[in-house]
Amino acid sequence: MLNQRDLRPKDMGRSDEQLIKLDNLIPLLAPYDKPGMESPLTDPKPAWKEKFCTSLDGYVGIDTLTRPKSKEEEDEFVRKFLSGLEKIFSDANNGVLQPLLLSFEYCAKCNTCSDACHIYSATGNNELYRPIFRSEVLRKIVKKYFTTSGKLLGGFVGADIDVNWETIARLGELAYRCNLCRRCAQTCPLGLDNAILSKEIRKIFSQEMGIAPTPLHTKGTMLQIKTGSSTGLSKPAFLDTLEFLEEDTEEKFGIKLKFPVDKKGADILVLHNAGEFMAWPENPVAFAILFDAAGLNWTLSSEIMGYDSVNYGLWYDDYQAKKIALMQMKVAKEFGVKRMVVAECGHAHKASIITSDRMTSDRVPVESCLPLLWDMVRNKQLKLDPSKNNFPVTLHDPCNIVRQMGIVEPQRNILKAIAPQFREMTPHGVDNYCCGGGSGFAIMNYANFPEFRTQVASRVKFNQILGAFKGTMEDVSTPKYICAPCSNCKGAMRGILEHYDASEKYNLQYGGLVELMVNALVSMKKPFLEFLE
Amino acid sequence: MILSIIAYLSIGLFVGISVFKAYQFAKMPFHGRMDLYPVPKEKGFEHGGSYYEETAWWTKPHEVSHMREIVEMLKEILFIKKLFENQRPFWWISYALHLGIYFLMAWTILLVVGGLFEVNGISVAANTSSILGLLVYYVTALTGYFGLALATLGSGLLFLRRAFDNTLKKYTTPQEYFNLLLIFAALVTGIFTWGNDLSFGYAREVTANLVTFTPFSANGLLTLHIFLVGIMLIYIPISKMSHYVGKYFTFHKVLWDNNPNLKGSGVEQEIKKASSFRPTTSWSAPHINPPAAPEK
Repeated sequence: MLNQRDLRPKDMGRSDEQLIKLDNLIPLLAPYDKPGMESPLTDPKPAWKEKFCTSLDGYVGIDTLTRPKSKEEEDEFVRKFLSGLEKIFSDANNGVLQPLLLSFEYCAKCNTCSDACHIYSATGNNELYRPIFRSEVLRKIVKKYFTTSGKLLGGFVGADIDVNWETIARLGELAYRCNLCRRCAQTCPLGLDNAILSKEIRKIFSQEMGIAPTPLHTKGTMLQIKTGSSTGLSKPAFLDTLEFLEEDTEEKFGIKLKFPVDKKGADILVLHNAGEFMAWPENPVAFAILFDAAGLNWTLSSEIMGYDSVNYGLWYDDYQAKKIALMQMKVAKEFGVKRMVVAECGHAHKASIITSDRMTSDRVPVESCLPLLWDMVRNKQLKLDPSKNNFPVTLHDPCNIVRQMGIVEPQRNILKAIAPQFREMTPHGVDNYCCGGGSGFAIMNYANFPEFRTQVASRVKFNQILGAFKGTMEDVSTPKYICAPCSNCKGAMRGILEHYDASEKYNLQYGGLVELMVNALVSMKKPFLEFLE
Repeated sequence: MILSIIAYLSIGLFVGISVFKAYQFAKMPFHGRMDLYPVPKEKGFEHGGSYYEETAWWTKPHEVSHMREIVEMLKEILFIKKLFENQRPFWWISYALHLGIYFLMAWTILLVVGGLFEVNGISVAANTSSILGLLVYYVTALTGYFGLALATLGSGLLFLRRAFDNTLKKYTTPQEYFNLLLIFAALVTGIFTWGNDLSFGYAREVTANLVTFTPFSANGLLTLHIFLVGIMLIYIPISKMSHYVGKYFTFHKVLWDNNPNLKGSGVEQEIKKASSFRPTTSWSAPHINPPAAPEK
C-alpha cells in the first residue's frame, strides 16, 4: 500500500492489494467533533477482495466488476476496454465528441479544480481523489495506445502507464468516486470538465464491456424499460399505491384527495420519481394537495414510462438515457398534454429538460416544478401561515437543478416566504456542494459502498448542514429541517442522518420542499410533517 | 533570406494551424447540452439563474445579454479571472507569462511598424521630430521591456514551480517541461539578442530586414533566437498550448451554450440534421443493438 502523498497516476497498474487506505478524513463540526461520535472506516471483507476490485481504496463501487478467472479473461477485459476507449473518440460518440476532446486535450494541470471537489476535500486532500488524477490515468492510456506521439516517445509525452486488469478495473472503480457534480468545472480557467471524463469511463464499462452497478443498470434502466419504473412498480401496483395514499391522507388529515390519473384534457402531466411513492409518499401527496389548492388542471399517467421520471442512464450509459428519455417523451406526446412538470427529482430535471432537449426535434415542453410552486406562493394561490414552520430550515441545492440548470431563486423565495428561520448553507446556490449521493451513489447500497458515500462523499455536505444549524443542534426539542427538493439528495440525507443517528440525537430532520409548503397551509388542521406531532 | 523565410513561415503556420484547429473544432458534430451556471448571457447571471426559473419558459422571450458575455470573456482573456479567483498564487506567475505574451505581441507589431517607418524615412527615435515616430519609439520600448521581463519571469517560474512542487511534478510530463523551456529559451535568447540596445533600434533594423527580405549579417545568437522563436510559433498550435483556441469552444460552445430546442429554432434544425446521421462504429455491450453501418 502506498502513502497517498506519493501516489502518481501511473501507479494504477501496480500489483498492490490496495493502492491507498483512507485514514485522514476532515473532522466533522460540532456536535460531531468529539471522539467516538463517528465509527471508524472499515476494511473490505476478504470475500470481497477475492471477488471484486477492492484494490483501489478498499471500496466496491461496481458489483458486476468481478476478478478474472484466467489469463484469457484478463486479456479480454483489457482488450474490450481499449476497444471502448477508441470508440469514445469515434462517431459512435458524436453527442459528446467536442466537449470530450476539449476536456481531454487541454488540461494545463494547474490544479485549480482540486479544492472545488468535495470528495478530495473530505479525504484530507487524498491524491487518489484529485479530479485530474483520474483524467490523467485516462490520458496516459490513450496516449500509449492511440497516439503516434505516445507510441514513438512513450514516457516523454506521458504514455508511461502499465495497462493490465488492475489498472482498468481501478479506473472503473475510480469513475464511481466522482459524483459528476461538475463543481470542479466551474473553477477551471480553461473551462474543462473532469466529470465528462469520469462519465466517459463509466460509459466504456457499460456500453462496451457490459459492466455497470446493478442498481443503475439491471435493477435500474433495464428494469425501467421493461416494467416502466426502476422500482419495478407495475401499473396495477401504481394505481393501488395511489388508492392507498388517498385513503391514508383522508385518515391522517381529513383531506379527500383524488389523484387524477390519465385525465384527458389535462394541461400538465406531472412526473414523479417513482421512488417517492415507496420511500417518501408524503411528497407526491403534498404535490397533489398543492396543485389542487392552486386549481391546476393536472394529471399523472399510468402508462408504462409515464409514472417514473428517473433516468439513471444519465450517469453511466448514453444509450439507455436516450431510450428512456424518448419513451417518456412518447407518453407525453400521445397523452396530448401541453407540458410536463418534473417534480422534486434533480437528475430527472436534468434528464428531461436538459439532456433530452437535443435528442429529438418534436418535444412536449418540460419545466421544473420549482418556478410553478413559487408562482403559487407569489400569486397568493395558497393560503399560507409561515408560523407553522417556525423552526430552523436550511436548503440543499441539488446540483442538477441548480448548477446544471440555473434554477436558483424560486426555491429560496418560497422558503423565505414560508419558513421564518430559513438560513443558507455556506456556500450555496450554484456554488453548492453535492449531497454525496449524486450520479447513482444514493442507490448503490451493496458491500461497503454506503460507508464511502456516507462518511466520505457526503462528509462536506454534513458539515455544511451542521454549520447551518450551528447553535441550535444541541437543542433537541427544536427540529432542524434540511429541505432537499430531490429524491436522490433525500436518499443521501437519509443515509447521513441514519449513520450519525442525527434525528434521534439532535432532532435533525429532512424532506422536500412541498412538504414544508403543505405544512404551512392554513387549511391544514394538524401538522403535515410527522416530526412536529 | 533564410531567416526571413523562417519568420514568415512560422508566423504563417502559427496563424494557419491555429485557424485550422479552430475550424476542426467548429465542424465537430452537434453535441448534447452541458451548460453550467452561472452563464453570463443569462438575465439571472448574478445569482447563476437561467430562463428555467420562469414558468412556461418556452412561451417567453429568452432575454440574453451578449454584451455581458463579451465582458466576461474579456475578463477571462485579459485577466485570467477564474485562476485569479480560485488559485491566486498560481495566477501571479501564469498571468505574468500571459501578460508578457500580450505585450510581446504588441511589441512585435510595433517593431514591424517602426521598421517600416524607418524604411520609409520616418525616424523612430527619442529625438525624432515625428510625433508618430516618437510614439512608436516609446510604446515599443515599454512593451518590449515589460513583455520580455514578464514572459521570461513567468515561463521560468512556471517551470520551477512544476519542477519543485510535489503535487504538480506528479502530473507534469517531460513534454510539458519542454514546452515551458522552449518558451523560456526563446525569450532568454531574445533578451541577450536585443538587450544590448535598449532603444530597440537594432531590433527594429533586423525586423525591417526580415519583413522586406533584405539580406543582413546575423550572428550566431540572433540566428539561434529567430530559429527558436520560429520553432516555438510552429509548435504552439500543434501542442496543447493552443488552449487559446480550445478555450473559446469550452465556454461558448459547451458551458455557456444553453440555447433550447424550440420549434423553428436553429437548434431544432441541427437536431434534425444530426438525427439522420448513421454512425460507422457501434457499441458492443449486450443491451445495445448496434445500428447498421452505412453502405460505402
